[in-house]
This record gives sequence, structure tokens and C-alpha cells, in this order.
Amino acid sequence: MARALLLRSASSALTLLLVTLIVFLLLHLLPGDPFSEDELVGPRRLTRAQVAEIRALYHLDEPVHRQYLLWLQDLLRGDLGASFQDRRTVASKIAERLPVTVTLNALALALMVGLSVPLGTLAAWRPGSGLDRAAGAGTYALYALPVFWAALLLQIVFSARLGWLPLLGLASDRAAELGALERLADRAAHLVLPTVCLAYPGLAYLSRFVRSSLLEGTSGEFERAGRARGLTALGVLVRHGFRLASVPLLTLAGFLLRHLVAGSVLVEWTFAIPGLGLLFVEAVLARDVPVVMGLTLVSSVATLAGTFLADVLYAAADPRVRHA
Amino acid sequence: MRRALAGASLALALACPAPAGRDEGFRTNTVRAHLSSEPQSLSLIGKTDYSSEVLALLISDGLVGYDSSLEVRPMLAETWELSADRRTVTFHLREGVRWQDGRPVTARDVVYTIRKVLEPATEARSWRPHFENLASLEAPDDLTVRATYAEPAADFLDAWRIPIVPEHLASKDRDFLTGEFAKRPVGCGPFRLVRHEPGQLLVLEANPDYWAGPPAIERLSFRIVPSDRTTYEALLRGDLDLYVGVSPDLWRESLASPRASRLARFVYPRLSVWHILWNQNGSNPFFTDPRVRRAMVLALDRERFARQATDGIAIPAATTYHPETPWADPGVRPWPYDPAEAKRLLEEAGWTDSDGDGVRERGGVPFRFTLLLPASPQELAERIAVWTQQSLAAVGVRMEIEKLDPRAFFERRRAHAFQATKSTILQTPSPDHHDVYHSSAREGGMNYGGFSDPEVDRLLEEGRRTFETTRRREIYFRLQRRLHELEPISCLFHWVSPVLHDPRLEGIERSPLGPYLVFPGPRGWRWAGRAPGRG
Repeated sequence: MARALLLRSASSALTLLLVTLIVFLLLHLLPGDPFSEDELVGPRRLTRAQVAEIRALYHLDEPVHRQYLLWLQDLLRGDLGASFQDRRTVASKIAERLPVTVTLNALALALMVGLSVPLGTLAAWRPGSGLDRAAGAGTYALYALPVFWAALLLQIVFSARLGWLPLLGLASDRAAELGALERLADRAAHLVLPTVCLAYPGLAYLSRFVRSSLLEGTSGEFERAGRARGLTALGVLVRHGFRLASVPLLTLAGFLLRHLVAGSVLVEWTFAIPGLGLLFVEAVLARDVPVVMGLTLVSSVATLAGTFLADVLYAAADPRVRHA
Repeated sequence: MRRALAGASLALALACPAPAGRDEGFRTNTVRAHLSSEPQSLSLIGKTDYSSEVLALLISDGLVGYDSSLEVRPMLAETWELSADRRTVTFHLREGVRWQDGRPVTARDVVYTIRKVLEPATEARSWRPHFENLASLEAPDDLTVRATYAEPAADFLDAWRIPIVPEHLASKDRDFLTGEFAKRPVGCGPFRLVRHEPGQLLVLEANPDYWAGPPAIERLSFRIVPSDRTTYEALLRGDLDLYVGVSPDLWRESLASPRASRLARFVYPRLSVWHILWNQNGSNPFFTDPRVRRAMVLALDRERFARQATDGIAIPAATTYHPETPWADPGVRPWPYDPAEAKRLLEEAGWTDSDGDGVRERGGVPFRFTLLLPASPQELAERIAVWTQQSLAAVGVRMEIEKLDPRAFFERRRAHAFQATKSTILQTPSPDHHDVYHSSAREGGMNYGGFSDPEVDRLLEEGRRTFETTRRREIYFRLQRRLHELEPISCLFHWVSPVLHDPRLEGIERSPLGPYLVFPGPRGWRWAGRAPGRG
């Protein structure tokens, strides 16, 4: 067991190293310079020598492989570097936005699972029925709906017209003056529309996944045995289906962990929410290498941890895996 | 597609009733505005992007400032005088001005600020070049600043708009850009920063001890809202009181929308020009000939396009000199729409359509070039590019369009790796356009097209050295006539910037620098029909 863990950690570390190296090289292949002065126009501008002085502050005068090694060296000391845009530490910039993104994604995941499991179960209960087909068509229609449009529609209907929910941001202007409970309610109201926008595109995939996993577990001999014992179709689903479907579902949960730290640019942009998605896109556009590298690292670690978690859960749920 | 979907959602929304409560700003004597991006620095002088500059000039004052008609006016400096050789300026500071922590503002703070600007680590990108020419800077007493320049420069006052930083607070930090001061800046301006939620909100409060008297509004808050559409919806809903810089697409929508009819609106002339840069360094056979460059402009019906397609947001331009500044020669008019003359000039330059395929050629080379432009979310940018393409096709010139991400675009332009580029120049009120036209600005400056003319060089140098306004204006008028003749770059349009706001909000001026960066600016804003003071 210890040996397996060790092997696993070594291969994970190697994967991480490769991912950061590739992203670093891609960033340097991208045309454009983080400190180009071209946007600023006045009678006098910084000379090339002065721009070079600023670039040197961020080690951009070094060759690319040196820059990567410097980055790696800092990383080993627990330092993710400083942003080219405002010179704040990458760690503080990510730490500031991580809770926002994780909260939103956790809520969206909860909503997705909360809707998909019953929907998938109902669909699997009577496969091919009108209900099954309606659930499939409905969720696929949602999947096809572009997020920027849905976000705008929700904003206009629920915020601009009905006035039920706030239009943007994470808190009202006066949130600082409110009591703890009111502040929580204020925050919750701000999260409703973004959460819905994040959750709806995933309904199709997840509910279909639940449906097919359940169907696999309840067809053939399981069903016949269950029905022979006097169970109803729904009873078979609940007693046998879920137990058998738990394995693929847990695997999926592991993969979903990665999505907790993946910001959604369109949703954050539309609702003016300072999350990781917006940070990432702004950093790429500004060629802010340290921030892009920091975010790459966070999402890679989450992916690897998710895969690991999925394997552990898989082993826990399926005795055949444990003993293999 | 996007438009059709937006239209459908709007139709649906119209069926629902409007929300109540638009009074929050009025009731609390607050003006709720927005910025489209988080300021890169609150250090007042470092990392100067637009958001940072707006905040810096509200939190602290410079020695001088611009009023809304771009006249330089005294701020922290009450008076100043220039030595006979025009190399030394002596500023006399206003007495009794205090920092927002109560300490007096002294000449030593001014010297400290400029010293800080000259340090590379401050990254004072837009300020630093203005002070490179300083030979010495001293504070003989608490209220006197004396600056001596290596070369006399007629525009020297422009730089002294720089917001002053308090030495006793800022000098405590080891790293100026990331230290305590840059988190909680203190200035001597009309507003002080009281709240900052990164990425979301900045709240400024009126400075009750401001030397020119406290502002009439109690608070000025800035929401960070990256999306134009969301900003617009927030204004309509009453979450914002003011939207400065409405995007052209939304401006067009607001003109027709009943939802926007309750809002007050105006446009201000922005110091900017939308231009095409012709690469004339010999790497292409087309644009080294001034007749060809002029023909390109004569082929464009700018009057008609501005009227029909931009809702008055674009105004045909002649040169980079903006008609709202005192430096523009009223005698230099934009080239008219004259396709016959355009064709004649092209023929004269040897470009003829000998094979009748609709594209001119010379010596077997077809007149086919690529216009490089930075990608923009604005539909209008697209419309202009396509209109240019069609207009040129009508005179036998084939233009391809290539869009690039802005940073990649800058890199190509800097490397002179283009035939023609389209972009917008943002300007300062200074008439010194040395960086755009001087032959020495071909490397390191903005003269990316490689234009070079001894007469233009001479006029630019003379203008820099001439202090007397009438003579200086004469020089720049001559320069504009020469530029108009040679057409090194084709200035197609100046832009106006639209503003939408709550109609009860009064005192917002129509200034070429926008509503924030001038005096009085927000110092003079007030809610009509509301008693001053706290809500």
C-alpha cells in the first residue's frame, strides 16, 4: 500500500512538472509582451532602455529556460512569484479569489446533483417513456443554450424587470452596515443567478449519466430477481440500482473536484464576480506569466487530487478493486 | 446571432414590470459610478492604467490641473514663475493645505514624489518620461519648489498635474508598489479612500478639510464591472447613477430604448483619433507614394458613414490635432469624399487595372494589401473595417482584414511587420506629437510606419522649444498643413464618448479629458433638490 502511494505521488509530481513546463513554453510562444508601452500615448514615452529596466525587475531579461528554472526554484520555496500587472504576490491574488470560485462551484454542483439524480432516476424508472424523453430533450435543450445569453436573460427578467434578485457583484453597497444574518441573506441573493448559470449546462450530462448507470444495474437478472421477490420497478432501482451505480457515480465525483477551482469566465464577467476564471483570462491577455502559472498549478493539483480521490473511493465501494 | 438572441430576451423582459427604488444615490448623497477594471495600483503614481489614474487624481492633487476647457490652473501651487532662460521654474505652494491625516503638505513631499517617479521600481510609466529632462529639483523652503530642466520644454506644466504623495507615510514602505501606503493611500485631494474590496468596490468619502472646500457629494463609489452590458443594465435598474464611456453599441441601443428615456445623456469629445497607419518603409510597393495614401482617404465617404452608422459618435478628422484643442488649424479640413480624384491619383501613381479584373496593378503587382487590427468586442469596429474594405474595392484596391489579439497586434506593429494597421490613438492635451511623426520616433516611438520628412522634423523640434503661445500655434498650424499634404497616417475619425446618468445629478462637465480628471470634476457634482450633507 505504501509503495503504491509512493509510486502514485512520484508520477503525480512528474505530471505536474510537465504541465507547468508546457504551459510556460506556450506562454512564451504567444506573441506579445507584458510590458509593451504601445497603449500609452503622450508627447513623451519611456525609452526602450527604461522599459528594459522594468522588464529586468521581473527577470524578463533572462533567457526563457532560466526564467522557468527561477520560477521552479521559487516554487520549491513555496513562492509563486509576483504578478506582472500589479506586483502583488500570486498566492495572495489567488487566495483572494479562490473562496469565491469554490463557493459558487460547490453551490452549482449541489444544484446539479440535486436535480440530476432525481431526474435520472425518474428517466431510468420508465426508460423510453414520455417522461424519459421529456427529461432528455429538456436537459439537452438547456445544454445547447449559450451561457452569455442565458445569463443576460436571467439578469433582465429576475433583476432588471422583476427586481427579485441583485444584478451583479457579491454583495450590496451597504452590506458592511448590515447584521450577520442579513449579510448572509444578501450574499445568498447575489449567488442565485450565477449558480443557476453555472449549473444548468451540466444537467444533461449528469442526469443521463445517472440514468444509464442505473439502467445498467437494473437490467437483466437483477431486475428479474428483484421483481421475483416482489419488488416494484422503482424498488429495484433503489435497492439494487443505486448500489451498483455508486461506483461510476463516485468516480465522477472525483473528476468533479477539478471543477471546484475552475472559474467560469462568462459567468464571472457578466455578473461582475471576481473569481478565478476572470483572473485567468485577464492574466493571459496581459501576458501575466506568474499568475497564469499559479492558476495552472492550482487546477492541475485539483485534477490530480480528484483522480486520486476517485481511485480511493472506487476501491472503497468495490471490493473487487481492493483485493486486486 | 448574438443580437437576435438579445432582442428575444429583451422582448421577453418587456412583458415584466420594472423594479422600484432608484433613490439610493440621491438619498445617501452618494454618486455610484463604475470602472471596467480593478486599478493596477493605488499608490497614486505607480502602474498608471486608466482606473488607477482616475482614483489617484481624486485622492490627491497635483501642483497644477486642467479645467474642463483644458486650461492649466493652479492647484497645490498658487503661482509659479519661469526664469529668463526658461530652464528654471519656481512654484509657490498654497499655504495651509493638509494631508488627509492632518500633517501639512510641504515642498519636500513634492521633491519626494518626483524622486519616487524617477525610480524604475515605481513603474510610473506615464509620468516618468516627463521628468527625465530635470537637471535638479529642490525645496528651498516648505512652500517653494524649484525645478531646473536640462533643455527648456514648452509643455513642462503638463507633468506637474502628477498627484503628490506624502513622504512621511509612503517612505515607510520597503516596496512602494506593494507596501502599506499602496493599500491605504493618503492624499490631499477632494476625496479619501475609505473602503476597498478588491475586484468589487472602492468607496471614496468627501474630504471635509479640502483646500478648495469639500465636495457637495458625500461619497463617490466605484463598482468594478467588466461587462458593458451589465453596467448598462445596472444603470437602468438604478444600481448605478452614472455610466461614463457608454460603448458605441449600447449607446445606439439606448437612443431607441424606452427604458433609457428617463436618463440624462451627453457626449464629450474624447482626445483620440481612429487612424490607419501606412507602412512606408519600402517593404510594400504601395504606400511610399503620398498620392496613394491620399487616394485611400478620398475613396471613403466618412460624412455619410459617421451619420448613418455611428449615431454621431465618429467625427471625420483631418490630422491628429483635435478640433476641441486650441492647437487645431481650422483651415485644415478633412479630405472630402472624391472617388474620381482617388482614381486619378492612383492612375497618376502608375496603378491601373490593365486586365480588367477590378483590381489595379503596377508592373504586374496587384494592389492588394492587408489591414491589421486589434480584436475588439465592439460591433462598430467590425463595421468600419468592412466599410473601408468595400470603399477601397470601389476604386480598384483590394484590402484583406486580419484581426489579432491586442498584445500580438502591438508586437507586429512594433516590429514594422505590417502593410497597414488600424487603431486608436489616445492623446493628452499637449500639441507635441513628436512621437507620432518625428523621424527619430521610427525606432522606439510611435512612428511605426517609418514616415520621415525634414520639414516635419524641424517644425516638431521648434514647437517643443517655443513658449510663446501665438508663435507656437503658428508652428503647429504649419505642421498640420504639411501633414495634411503628405498624409503619413490617415486620421479618419475623432470619437466622442457618451455618458448616461441620473437626471438629478448636476454639474458633470463636458470635457475632452472626461468627467473625472479635470477641475472641478466630481468636486462640483451635486444632487439637484437635495440638501448637502450626509444621508
